[in-house]
Amino acid sequence: MGKKIMVVDDSRMIALQMQNLLEDTEYEIAVYCRNGEDALAKYGEIRPDIVTMDIIMPGMDGLETAQAILEEDKDARIIMVSSLAYDDTFEEAKAIGAKGFIDKPFEKEQLLEAFAKALS
Amino acid sequence: MDTAMEQQKLEEMLDRAVREVTRRTAGVELFKTQEPPFGDLCTVYITFKNGFQSSLTLWGNISLLARMARSALREEHLTQQDLEDFSKEYFNILCGKIAALLFQATKVPARFSVPALYQGRFEPEGHSRQFVLTYTDDQRQGVQLVHHVPDRRQEDGLAESLLINERGD
Repeated sequence: MGKKIMVVDDSRMIALQMQNLLEDTEYEIAVYCRNGEDALAKYGEIRPDIVTMDIIMPGMDGLETAQAILEEDKDARIIMVSSLAYDDTFEEAKAIGAKGFIDKPFEKEQLLEAFAKALS
Repeated sequence: MDTAMEQQKLEEMLDRAVREVTRRTAGVELFKTQEPPFGDLCTVYITFKNGFQSSLTLWGNISLLARMARSALREEHLTQQDLEDFSKEYFNILCGKIAALLFQATKVPARFSVPALYQGRFEPEGHSRQFVLTYTDDQRQGVQLVHHVPDRRQEDGLAESLLINERGD
């Protein structure tokens, strides 16, 4: 079985794109969550190898959700996936313990590189 | 404290973001035009929540957004939900790119609302158009990106500026 990915994004399009890009790789999307609350509820049950986390979402935003997951599991590997790619956001993500940042729109190489780095 | 960015610089920044995000998200090249899109239109809309006191609206031909969605999702047959999801995510990415470019220029971090989708041409109440960027694709379908500012700003004589609240509130 491949490495389990939890995709947290209010856009189903992102999950579909990741699924397309991760075909024939060692990674598989184990669960897709449309919001932070759903991700928090499912994280303990799934225990994914990697979480990809959007920032702008209805309800809890991605940074709040990532922080809450890391309080539950300090070893969680969370990668922020957002178009809000600038220093302030990078620093905020790093400060809460995110393992990486992927800029939207993304390509396969970016995903694989960020996943490998988070797992190393 | 409010500071301002020249409108021309802002227009150039938004233009760069629209073309780059559209090409990278959906492989579609957009060209500037004077002819606004007509026919079946939808609107995607966000407001900046902090940092900037303005909003962005995208009016687009549904057929162009559908073409972009098919390309991005590698899927010929789209549902209405696919199209709505794509349109909102495309605009989310575009606005994120704009926020990142604004940060580079001003060092003011911005966040914005979750994109809302409307049928037809929606215009936010209590706001005025500051400027409109109009584009067409190679199949004569188009989009318009509109920068709206609150009406009171026009009364203050600051309509030519992008207003930034450095307190972030």
